[in-house]
Amino acid sequence: MIDLEHATKLYGTVIGVNDLTVVLGAGAHGLLGPNGAGKTTLLGLVTGQLRPTMGRVMIFGERPFGNPRVLARIGYCPAADLLERGATPREWVSYLVRINGVIAPAAGKAAAMAIDRVGLGEAADRPLMTLSKGMRQRTKLAGAIAHDPDLLVLDEPFVGLDPVARHDLVVLVREWAVHRSLLVASHLLHEIEALDAGLAVILGGRLVASGDVEEIHALVETMPAEIRVESASPRRLAEIACSSGLVDSLRFDGHAGLAIGTRRPRELVAMLGRAAVAEGIVILALSAGDRSLEGVFDRLVQLHRGIGSGSGGPRPPAPAGLAGESLP
Amino acid sequence: MNALRGIIAVAGFQIRRLLAPQRIALALVGAAFPAAVILAVRRVADLNLDVLALLLYALVPEAVCMLGLLVTMCPVVADELERGTWQHVAVRPGGRRSLLLGTFLAAVAWSSLVALLALALALAAAGLPDSGPLAPMFAVLVLVSCVGRAALFSLPAVIVPKRALVASVAVAFVVEYLAGFLPAVINQLTVSLRLRSLLVRWMGWERKLPPELSLIIDTQPPWVQIVAVVALASVFLFAASIILAGRQFPPAEES
Repeated sequence: MIDLEHATKLYGTVIGVNDLTVVLGAGAHGLLGPNGAGKTTLLGLVTGQLRPTMGRVMIFGERPFGNPRVLARIGYCPAADLLERGATPREWVSYLVRINGVIAPAAGKAAAMAIDRVGLGEAADRPLMTLSKGMRQRTKLAGAIAHDPDLLVLDEPFVGLDPVARHDLVVLVREWAVHRSLLVASHLLHEIEALDAGLAVILGGRLVASGDVEEIHALVETMPAEIRVESASPRRLAEIACSSGLVDSLRFDGHAGLAIGTRRPRELVAMLGRAAVAEGIVILALSAGDRSLEGVFDRLVQLHRGIGSGSGGPRPPAPAGLAGESLP
Repeated sequence: MNALRGIIAVAGFQIRRLLAPQRIALALVGAAFPAAVILAVRRVADLNLDVLALLLYALVPEAVCMLGLLVTMCPVVADELERGTWQHVAVRPGGRRSLLLGTFLAAVAWSSLVALLALALALAAAGLPDSGPLAPMFAVLVLVSCVGRAALFSLPAVIVPKRALVASVAVAFVVEYLAGFLPAVINQLTVSLRLRSLLVRWMGWERKLPPELSLIIDTQPPWVQIVAVVALASVFLFAASIILAGRQFPPAEES
């Protein structure tokens, strides 16, 4: 469905998307990355607003830029707020459907159905300027789904929504993804996690990992994690840790701090605990990396930026095992 | 057929935007401007038909039409970018073309309406009993001016959307009022030459003009002038449509 091959987008000398190769099949996919990672640029390529500077972008087997056959099958909900304040949601959504070439009465019906579907029924005839940001967000979503596209592309769809609206939207989008395809960009991992979507992590315009949630977890398990220890005897602890064979990198942090990079964090922590008891070493604090999905995401970000693998040590290998893979 | 529906949808939506109270107030001020000038002239001099025709030409098909189009046609892309609606329209099949041509129709309709109102007020302010034949003549000049100039302004609007107003004023001066007055082939490509030629022909001024001024009009029949403007407008719009189809705007805010 979505096939990018060495896709690169440059804005002058600024890189938006960098040599990105990925194949996303039908179904739900989440695009994760911090602000400025290149998600919106990637969505711009997918939705035919941008043309790749290098490489190839194919959607439904065709290039999307300026291709009405492909564009007719895509629904796009941009991140930017809708500042079309004079129109009502009904007028706005109907207008968008009519641009697709639908006659006015049919467009009106499609708009009404989409507005009901996003739960905006009562506010359908109020000017957009009087609606909350969350309601405008729903209006944008209604505009994206009203023409019944095969692929729905959402850029930060949960921004500005209260928890109830967020839950409603998750339910709606999950229902959508049962029969159609979905690509959601977000910088918040739990939002993507709630959609049961496949994950693609993008950083600095590059795809650094992709797979489902478990695969991303497994990937991180194989990469160095950082254990931070504060102790009255950090040098002795460093000796013990190094002799264990579990250490990838190690650095002292101030008088009492020790940061240890390891691929076997559980074993290392257990071993340090045993050694401290045996030798009477006082450990003031010990913290391991966050293993929640949010922590995993943070870890990928850190690894991409070359942080947290132990300064002075070699930069960890990029998680190339998953980057650039196909998702079914 | 689908393309036409999209164009009509955009035209209707743009006219709804223009029906905002502030826009209507601005249009009424613009429409009253020629009448105010003519009233001021009447206080200091007697008007005859020729002077009135000259004044009307300068004030209505030139000034009012031009100003109307500057505020309706020039922001065709800039407005969408500012309102955050560009992405919604650009991802629609044929959306860019519909936006351009629909806005063109709305701009021509709105500016013509304002200019025709200005014409009616100006003729009433002139109070000349024999000025009746000027009304249909200037109505045609208004339509020709709006069609030609709206298409001309579509080019700076899509090439430099964020500086479209300044660029369009520059284009108006350089193309319409500089190149248009050059007695060379280049002035054949301007709307102002066609408007002047129609005015001179319909007012029967050909024989009154000194030979030097006859160099800056075209002596072909009126239908040729009108067809020439329609052809020019088609070329301008086609070029603008091609340019807009290839335009890429970096995301204003990366999510």
